[in-house]
Amino acid sequence: MRTVPLRHAVAAGAVAFALFPILFVLSAALNPRGTLSSTELLPTGLSLENFDRLLSETRFASWFANTMLIAGLASAAAVFLGALAAYAFSRMRFRGRRTGLLALLLIQMFPQFLAIVTIFLMFSTVTELWPAVGFNTPWGLVLLYLGGALGVNTWLMKGFLDTLPRELDESATIDGATHAQVFFQIILPLVAPILAVTGLLVFIATVNEFLIANVFLTDTGSKTLSVGMYGLISGERNNNFGVFCAGTLLTAVPTVLVFQFLQRYIVSGLTAGAVKG
Amino acid sequence: MVAAALALSLATTGCGGGGDEPAASDSPAAKAAGGRLVIWADTKRTAALKPFADRFGQENGVTVEVQEIADEQQTTFVTASQQGSGPDVMVGAHDWIGNLVQNGAIDPVQLSAEQKAGFAEIALKAVTFNGQVYGVPYAMENVALIRNTDLAPQAPATVEDLVATGKRLKAEKKASEILCLQVGQSGDAYHLYPLYASAGGYLFGTGANGDYDPKDLGVGTPASVAAFEKIRALGEKGEGALKRSIGGENSIATFTAKKCAFLVSGPWAITDVKKAGLAYDISPVPGFAGGKPATPFVGVQAFYVAAKGKNKALAQEFVANYLTVPDLAVALYKAEPRPPALTAAFDQVKAEDADLDKFQAAGRDGAVLPAIPEMAAIWDPFGKAEAAIIGGADVATTVNAAAKTISGQIK
Amino acid sequence: MATQLTSAGPGRRAPHGGRHRTEPYIVRDSAPVTLTGLTAKVVLLGLAAGIAVWAAFPLVEARAWAGLAILAGTTAAIFYLYLTRRHVPAKYLVPGTLLLIAFQIFPILYTASTAFTNFGDGHRGNKAEAIVAIQTASVTQVPGSTEYALAVATTGDPATGPLVFLVTDPATRAVYAGNAAGLRALPEGEVTVNSAGKVTAARGYTVLDAGQASARSAEITAFAVPTPGGAIRSSGLSRAYEGKATREYAEACDCVRDTATGRTWTADEGAGAFVAADGERLAQGWKVGVGLANFSRVLTDSTISGPFLRTLLWNVAFAVGSVAATFALGLLCALALHTPRMRGRALYRVLLILPYAMPSFAMLLVWRDLFNTDFGLVNRLFGLDVDWLGGVWSARLAVVLVQMWLGFPYMFLVATGALQAIPRELTEASTVDGAGPWQSFRRVTLPLLMVALTPLLISSFAFNFNNFNAVYLTTEGGPFPADNPTAGATDLLITYTFRLAFGAAGAQYGFAAAISVFIFAIVALLSAVSFRRTRRQEELYA
Repeated sequence: MRTVPLRHAVAAGAVAFALFPILFVLSAALNPRGTLSSTELLPTGLSLENFDRLLSETRFASWFANTMLIAGLASAAAVFLGALAAYAFSRMRFRGRRTGLLALLLIQMFPQFLAIVTIFLMFSTVTELWPAVGFNTPWGLVLLYLGGALGVNTWLMKGFLDTLPRELDESATIDGATHAQVFFQIILPLVAPILAVTGLLVFIATVNEFLIANVFLTDTGSKTLSVGMYGLISGERNNNFGVFCAGTLLTAVPTVLVFQFLQRYIVSGLTAGAVKG
Repeated sequence: MVAAALALSLATTGCGGGGDEPAASDSPAAKAAGGRLVIWADTKRTAALKPFADRFGQENGVTVEVQEIADEQQTTFVTASQQGSGPDVMVGAHDWIGNLVQNGAIDPVQLSAEQKAGFAEIALKAVTFNGQVYGVPYAMENVALIRNTDLAPQAPATVEDLVATGKRLKAEKKASEILCLQVGQSGDAYHLYPLYASAGGYLFGTGANGDYDPKDLGVGTPASVAAFEKIRALGEKGEGALKRSIGGENSIATFTAKKCAFLVSGPWAITDVKKAGLAYDISPVPGFAGGKPATPFVGVQAFYVAAKGKNKALAQEFVANYLTVPDLAVALYKAEPRPPALTAAFDQVKAEDADLDKFQAAGRDGAVLPAIPEMAAIWDPFGKAEAAIIGGADVATTVNAAAKTISGQIK
Repeated sequence: MATQLTSAGPGRRAPHGGRHRTEPYIVRDSAPVTLTGLTAKVVLLGLAAGIAVWAAFPLVEARAWAGLAILAGTTAAIFYLYLTRRHVPAKYLVPGTLLLIAFQIFPILYTASTAFTNFGDGHRGNKAEAIVAIQTASVTQVPGSTEYALAVATTGDPATGPLVFLVTDPATRAVYAGNAAGLRALPEGEVTVNSAGKVTAARGYTVLDAGQASARSAEITAFAVPTPGGAIRSSGLSRAYEGKATREYAEACDCVRDTATGRTWTADEGAGAFVAADGERLAQGWKVGVGLANFSRVLTDSTISGPFLRTLLWNVAFAVGSVAATFALGLLCALALHTPRMRGRALYRVLLILPYAMPSFAMLLVWRDLFNTDFGLVNRLFGLDVDWLGGVWSARLAVVLVQMWLGFPYMFLVATGALQAIPRELTEASTVDGAGPWQSFRRVTLPLLMVALTPLLISSFAFNFNNFNAVYLTTEGGPFPADNPTAGATDLLITYTFRLAFGAAGAQYGFAAAISVFIFAIVALLSAVSFRRTRRQEELYA
């Protein structure tokens, strides 16, 4: 009990650190003349003009919808693919296991902006043969993102699976369950928190991804938030700073909502209950 | 069961299989509908072009798509073109030409003598490279001195004048900065160039035919060292007129917040200045007393025909025969107030916008921004040197290090 | 890859907690097949087959037999894999691995292979493309020649009939029909000409409208009507001019010759460019193999190798510092909120992940502005006058601080999840044993956390090691010493070397790829070493 005030103090300090730049962004977004040097930490004006401009002068709504579609699909699929692989890496022993794990890590380190040229090469052909998954389609982009589904996230989930007592699935196996039943009926429910965390991380990473989306989606209607928003400030950062800040804030909204939705899984305490059984 | 993700992976397999198989690329997909023209532009231009593209499409019974590339337009264009996924028409700055030509990414545009005569001379010169016209210019831009006439009613005749006025205003607490000229931590060669030129420096010499000569590098010459000495005197360890804390992200905003009386910027700043509602005037960037004229760089925005576009005939028609009429130039001007390159369009809008004439006057003796690919090697080291010198670094060491880096990359 | 992933039996298993088992449980798959499982299997394999068939049609049409073979092979392999009872690990790994191969491994290998070429601006395409570009670029209007109004026509079907250029001389309004055979005057009575001089109808010809003409765009662009002085070509769809290519490629000498000046440029296959006797090069070159030249340049160029060690040290420090800072703060927050007794935890959590929810590129730019000496909020708020991004150590501190802000919510989330996954019995047990909260944390919680999180820390290190944006969008590598504008105090290897590769006259992808391979090797080595250390841990707790 004694520690509770201390806990509040730590949390409040961290929140202050977290919010300080965001408050600045909020202040700029609410300031009708939202420029960098005219913005203070606390809002000086209170106007929704920037939000209004964002919604009327840009295609923010369609950027938003595209982003949700792409990030939603990509994160759901990536979590599933990653969980499959993590199960194999954690629970099975096979030749090349550690090499495979290390390779997954190393692959992520190759600078992506070099690969842009190859992506053009590949998807120029794909667009010609299968336009349904080619340039300017969300499906193509999702597929491309899923190339990274095995990677850091697999590591993340594998780490968690490693902490689950082996006895659980072993006793199930002895009771006659197949490996698939063990995975779907025992392991997956147990690691719900980490599936939620991974899903959120992939979701955020996808929303933030700019480099590939910028070259992949050229149709104005097919753009994602990060590409559209970057366009606002790519020329002169002065002009659209307030509008840009408004967009930045709105971009964070879905992430926060997704987090809210997932929070009960993340902190559900399911794990403790299951282990008891 | 386990195969839940199989569907996805299979689709991928197909893609992967096709992707690394060159034979697949000569498929007959090109036979798809003919009348389609794709234009790539940056965010601002996209909106302005849309109605005209639609009109061109309707008049000619073709579809015209204007697509927006948010960032890295030039690299994206070259890479996409090379793989056959590029547009038919590209919109961009004229100093891309050298690189676009060396990559075979654009075709020359054959303009008639009559069409050529319609353009401002300097605009046409900017899009001419190795004797060929490579793009149709639509707008020109150069920096000028924008001043807050409430704070500084008189246009300064020299840099020294400007600094004296700025210091006085600072002492009277009417302003907090002497001059808003963007430098930033990495420098900005484009905005500094008028002062550098006035102090006697140059970047590339010009050959006999008036083209820039990459073999004659002006950075590192004694003249450039002398020029940077003068710039250092204006810097943080000197007058304090040039500061690294003023950069591209805040120079205009600082001016519109009335924290400085003078702003060196281009037509793109005017929208904000007007919105701020302050009284302003535009004059040429002043030079150093007794120095050379402070010539700014003149840049031109142009339309290019992609060499690997799928519909080059239509692209040529659009660029050479449709864009050379004044209406479009006027509309693009309205989307963003940069002086039109077509003389007829310029005359049409100058009546309602006195600023245009003043900007053009400021750029009259300007130097065309070099389009040779070697220019790419200058920006970064020059900017770094500028920032270091304004911060107070030793001039000779810094300039020579920059010169060494530049010449090492040009080779 | 797939063969590697098949089950290798019990060989690598660690002895487990002292219990004895004769056989690893997972290699067997003898449990009865359930109805749900069977249905799912049939449906999914059916779907896979459907997609494979769908994907096959365009390949057949394009006669891409190799692509088709890969598709068929992969599909067959998948059917085999999921119908057999063997290769259990592969069943779990293949879906993700296929995507990985297609969209990560293939691009990486392809990119790495360019390190052996001069691929870059001016050398992107092949020689034929360069020749076309040179010739096209040299087509100039014949001096004093007529500029015609043009109508594109055909004597046959608008979509396929042979093309004819109907050109009008604006001065005389005389109309000519031109094709590959040359120019032929048309009698006045047979043609209708509009006010602009363009032919709108002509007997025996069908004039194409813009849509029809643009469908045959490539033909029209290539179409040339030979004239004594050169050839009449189209300029768009409504004008034609008489032009002549002044530069021509001759196969005999493998050179390009300028017909006006007589100058020649001979192909240099080593450099991938046409070079004149005096060394002048034509700008349009092509991609050629250069062997190890890019690699040896990385090693021998003193501007690259000179500041290399210093940059590497800072790079490692940056990556370690970022990981340590984010992990420390993230874990602290997670621990602080890890108690059911605390009120407002849900709210705290939402607020704490906000930095991660904001678009990172935007926030990096905002942070740069916050650190501005004269106008930045950091200095104004704390009454400081620090030239944050202008000083060596303050800039370094600033980039790590920004990374900490951006990254701690990630660590917070992961640590929160990890804490949840630790069975409460364990910590409770240790408390019952008389350990204080700190001891219980040190002895029980932290080791368990590290099992789950060490791999994450390594991957986070790897990510930050190459964190281009973190530096590029804040300091751009600066501040730079006066005597070297290529290596700044906050430069990471990646920002510093890419400035070299892309700062020259155009991008040098081949060189950049070579640099990347070097960096890749360094990170791989560092990570592999730290990865080896995790094995002990894994085996201990697995």
